[in-house]
This record gives sequence, C-alpha cells and structure tokens, in this order.
Amino acid sequence: MLQVLIQGFLLSGLYALIAVGFTLIFSVGRVLNLAYGAYLMLGGYAYFYSVQTLGMPKLPGFLFATGMGALAGVLMYRLLVKRLKGDQVAVEISTLILAVVIQAGVVLVFNDSSKILHPIVGGVWRIGSTTITNNILVAMVASWIILGGLLLFVKKTHVGRAMQAVSMDAKGARISGINTDRVNMMTWAISGALGSVAGVFFASYTQLNPSMWVAPLIIAVAVVIVGGIGSIVGTLIVAHIIGFMEIITTTFIAAELRGVFTMLLIIGVLVIRPQGLFGRGDL
Amino acid sequence: MARPLLGWAIFAVAMLLLPQFVSNGTLRIIIFANFLAIFAMSWDFISGKTGYISFGHPFLIGIGAYTSAILSYRFGMPVSLSIPLAVLATMVGGTLFFLPALRIKGTYFALVTLAFMELMYQLVQVIRPDLTGGTRGISGIKTILSGAAPNFYLSFGLMFAIGLALWLLSRTRLGTALDAISMNEEAVSGSGLNTTRLKLFAFMVSALVAGLGGAFYVHYLGSIAPRALFDINFVFTIIVSVLIGGSATIIGPIMGAFFMTFLLEYLRPLLPGSERYLVYGMIALVLYVYQPKGIMQILKNLSLRTRGPQTGRSGNV
Repeated sequence: MLQVLIQGFLLSGLYALIAVGFTLIFSVGRVLNLAYGAYLMLGGYAYFYSVQTLGMPKLPGFLFATGMGALAGVLMYRLLVKRLKGDQVAVEISTLILAVVIQAGVVLVFNDSSKILHPIVGGVWRIGSTTITNNILVAMVASWIILGGLLLFVKKTHVGRAMQAVSMDAKGARISGINTDRVNMMTWAISGALGSVAGVFFASYTQLNPSMWVAPLIIAVAVVIVGGIGSIVGTLIVAHIIGFMEIITTTFIAAELRGVFTMLLIIGVLVIRPQGLFGRGDL
Repeated sequence: MARPLLGWAIFAVAMLLLPQFVSNGTLRIIIFANFLAIFAMSWDFISGKTGYISFGHPFLIGIGAYTSAILSYRFGMPVSLSIPLAVLATMVGGTLFFLPALRIKGTYFALVTLAFMELMYQLVQVIRPDLTGGTRGISGIKTILSGAAPNFYLSFGLMFAIGLALWLLSRTRLGTALDAISMNEEAVSGSGLNTTRLKLFAFMVSALVAGLGGAFYVHYLGSIAPRALFDINFVFTIIVSVLIGGSATIIGPIMGAFFMTFLLEYLRPLLPGSERYLVYGMIALVLYVYQPKGIMQILKNLSLRTRGPQTGRSGNV
C-alpha cells in the first residue's frame, strides 16, 4: 500500500512535468503541438550527447538540453505555426509530420538502438520495504519546483500576465498594446524548454530511443483533455489521477494494461464532457 | 462526365499492361502503393470530405485485418467468407468510431480517434493472445494468390473498383452534401439535411473501404503484428498521401500514395533505414505548407497558367 502511494506520487510528478509545457501552448496559442513529444526526445538526446558522449559535467549538459528545447520551440513557431495563421487542423497535421521528421533525424544522428541514460542523481532511498531511486525523487521535486515557479511566473510577472491575457482573448490583448507575436514566441520557447527538461528526467526513468516521443505525447494529451484547457492546477490534479491509476493497474491487475485506463479516460471525457473535468480555466 | 471517365479507362489500361514492362520488384512496390491508396481513400472519405480528421485510422484497418486473419488462421474459414465477415466487423467498428463525431469535432475528434488506436494496440496484445497472437502477432496466414503479377492485378483491381465507386458516389447529390459538411455543418443542417445520417453514411463507406483494404492486405502479406499496424507512423503515411495528392478528390489520394511510395523506394539506396522518413517528411511538410490542397491543386494551377485565362474565367485583362 505504502509502495503504491509512493510510486504513485513519483510517477505523477513526472507526468505533471511532462504535461505542463503542452498545456501552456494549448492555452496561449490555442493549438495542439503534436511535435511536443519531440521536445522530450531532443532534450533527452541533447543531455545524452553532451554528458555521456562529450563528457561535459551534468549541469551544463542539462542547460544545453534546455536551450535546445527552447530553440526548437522558437523555430517551430517561426517557421511553421506562424505561417499557418492559427489554422488548428493544419498545425496539428504539420506538427505530426514534423515529429516524424525529428524522429528520423534522431535515427540518422544516433541510429535507432535504445540508449540508457545514467541516472542524473545516483543512489537509492529506503522507506520501509520500498526502495526509491534518488533520480525519480529528484524528478518529482524538480517537477513541483518548476510547476510552482511557473505558476508564480504566470501570476506575478509582467510577461506572465501578458501570456494570461493572450490566452483569454488574443484580440483584446493586442488592443491593450501587448505584442501577441512576441508573447506567443516566448510561450513556445518556454514550452520547448519545459518539454526538454521533462525529457531528460523521462529518459533517465525509461530509456532513450527514437520512438520515445509517442508515450509522453499521449500522456500530455490525456492530461490536457481531461483537465480542461490550460489550467496549471488542473494539470497537476489530472497528472495524479493518471499516474495513480497506472500504478494501481500495474500493481493489482496487469502491467500490460497500464495504458488502457488512460485511453478510456480520454475517450470517455471527450465524449461525455468535451470541456474537460475542470472546465476552461485561465492558466 | 465523359472526359474523366476516359481518364479512368486510360489509367486502367495503362496499369493492366504494366506487368509486361516492369520487373517484379517494381510490381511489389506498386502493390504496396495500391493498398496505401485504398487506405488513403478510406481516410479521405471521412476526413477529406466531411472534415472530421481521423488520427486513428489503423483502428478500422486493424479490425478488418485481424478479423479476417483470425477467422481464416484460427478457425480455418475460407477467405471468401472471412473477408466479408471482416468487412462487416469493420463497419461495426466504424459505428463505434462514429459515436464521438456526434458531439465533438476538430481537434478533439482527432484525439479521440488517436486514443481509439492506442487502446486497440494495447488490448490486442493482452486480450485473448491465443487468438491475436499477442505482441508477436500471427504469421503464416493464407494468401489469396502467389507471385507478383497476380497480386498486382488483384490489388490494382480492388483499388480501381473502390476508386471508381467512390468517384461516382462523390458526383451524386449525396457526395456534394458530404463536401458541404466540411465547409459548414450548421448550414447543411439548416438546409434541412440530416447531418447525423450523412456523417454516419460517410463513416460506413470509409469503414467498408478500410475493412476491405485491411483484409485483402493481410491475405497478401500473410502476417500481422500490432506494432506495425497500430502505429503513428502508419497514420502519418496515410495522411501524408492524401494531403500531398489533394484531399477530397479521390484521384488525389491515389496519386499521393503512388508518389510517396515511390519516393520512399527511390530514397532506399541513399538512406537504407528509417532515416528515409527525414527526407520524405520534409518534402511532405514543405509541400503541405506551400499548397495544403496538394498536387491536384498545383496541377490545376499549372494548367490554368499554361492554357491561359480562357478556361473557366471571364473578363480577364
């Protein structure tokens, strides 16, 4: 029981971190970025390359991965999303194509065998009979810190409030003198950075391979759909529902069925309550 | 009416003569293109025509393929019985697929279909693995014909019949009404048409085509595995074929399927592995952003430019 509780919290923390960057884009830009999973992959591989291939220390490697994610976000916005001028379906289709392109790019550079990422923080913790790797513990703590920081950033800073304004009403924000284009670009950069940070943790939790972007994308989609558009608190709650259900299914039913509940939740919520469980909150 | 029909006839004759001129290797590529064209037309009939984008089309194709494979491999049923049953099963699955379309559209519908596909992928491996073969799938399924040329004729005949039928269907008033749904669903229902029934019809036709394609495909390959089928890369290939060719045009998806299949094959000597998708995807992306209506529209614009303004337009300076 204790084990389920602990593992549930750890996994949920990771899922919240995965989903939050995706939520951000959905609420500010009103588009689903299906290439979001590719940020995680880019982040994971960038960290792998800088730390385990080039032998850089961990912190610069981490920053390098974050920077790569932010850059990818900006490029995606500049070259693709802005040109499609808010045509949602076109953005979804083209980001899906882009994700496959990035996957192929990763295969080209790193070949398609799986790679193991050394834990970012070594060692284990023991609570009763359960052992927890420090790595996933750090991931959870980092997730909470990042989510808290993001919430503060959105609520307290000028840029954050501008993001909020654009997410509520882009036209109104423009009339009030906000440069929506710049706000959008910053949102894409932040989303990319968050995605690649999540990717480093996710990769160290599982492993690196060129098709690793699909699973986190589906988790992010599930969290956003079920939680309702663009609510950071909703994201946190739903990440816990999904994380705990996965752990409970794995422990008590069968490990192979762990994703089934998530899918049923997406289908059920979308068909019965398309606005999500927590409605359309602002950021 | 006469000119496009002539075009279809020329297309058929040219393709039927093809085995005389090209190698078996090329024929096998074309067989794959034929099947991809069938899947693309099936996708196009829901997503291109009515605008309900499906990201989970392998869900339908998979029902057709798995049903026929299981019936013929596990229960020794003849193919002439298992394929019709598979098509029926796919249409039942299509009804399931249709339910969310009653309430949601756009992005949300696309995501539900993606969830359907992932759900199917996970369930197939766990539920009754004695039937589905679990993660490893089934191999040694009865093939209908052997050899490249007979299979080419079969797959081409199927693709051609489906294409012609869909094309004739899309020229009726029903086809026009379906087109109108993608533009403005409220206006269609406002003009007194029952959009629910129209949409159900589109989904049933699409499921029928997907089921036929899936069942024949599995009896051509002789094997089936969940990872190859319920894969986002497979969705990607189908969607890209339609978009590159030109959606809601019937002939566009066929062209797109051939174009993309041959592009992939010609890249093989340069990039042997799945890196090929880098070039393939880039071309698809650039074409899509440049002209979302695909090759059909590019050709149309070209012919307008070369033939001058006298066709169709009037009062040009």
